[in-house]
Amino acid sequence: MAVSVRIPTVFRKYTEGNAGVELEAGTVRDLVDQLEGRYPGFREQLLTSDGELHRFVNVYVNDEDARYLDKLDTKVTDGDTVSLLPSVAGG
Amino acid sequence: MSELRMSRALASDMVAHLEAERPNEGCGILASKDGDVVKVFRMTNASSSPVRYSLDPKEQFAAYKKLDDEGWELGGVFHSHTHTEAYPSPTDVRMASEDVPYVIVSLADDPPSIRAFRIKKVNWTDAEGEIEEVSVVVDG
Repeated sequence: MAVSVRIPTVFRKYTEGNAGVELEAGTVRDLVDQLEGRYPGFREQLLTSDGELHRFVNVYVNDEDARYLDKLDTKVTDGDTVSLLPSVAGG
Repeated sequence: MSELRMSRALASDMVAHLEAERPNEGCGILASKDGDVVKVFRMTNASSSPVRYSLDPKEQFAAYKKLDDEGWELGGVFHSHTHTEAYPSPTDVRMASEDVPYVIVSLADDPPSIRAFRIKKVNWTDAEGEIEEVSVVVDG
């Protein structure tokens, strides 16, 4: 069993069209590193130049918003589902 | 120009939600299946503003999960312009993140006008993008 990462439509052009990716357990930051390793250039869509989560990206670990857990240091274990959601906003 | 099809009942549901949110902008998402809108998700504008909207993240997560559970697609994102035309504002373009039709309902018109647009960007965080209108067909 691995960590299932769900990729929303808007990010699939960075993941060769894949809607779901299986990665190894660790922290959310580790998942981002693994995604970058597999899909170079993806990290900069998720993180700012300071290495923090882009404020328009929401990361859910199972049903919890990672911002209210440990943000990028939130632990993820085998069997967890991590969902990436872009903010939807405008004016 | 591609097409977004929805029934009169669903269009009325969407507009009723946006009118009820006045004086703030209202927002939500549309679920679709096989090219037709099948459900309107009325959602909370977390910005609570007459000039800005943002989907409440928790509601967004729950709604997207429902889409997956039901086998629906994200058919569109809708929001109202309370005093301006049904056309993407610079803020709409700057903050566009999804590659789906953005439905804009102008409450300045009577009856409210409904138009939809795709906003095409190279990177989703780009401030500018190309606006392409999507035909909105309301019938049935």
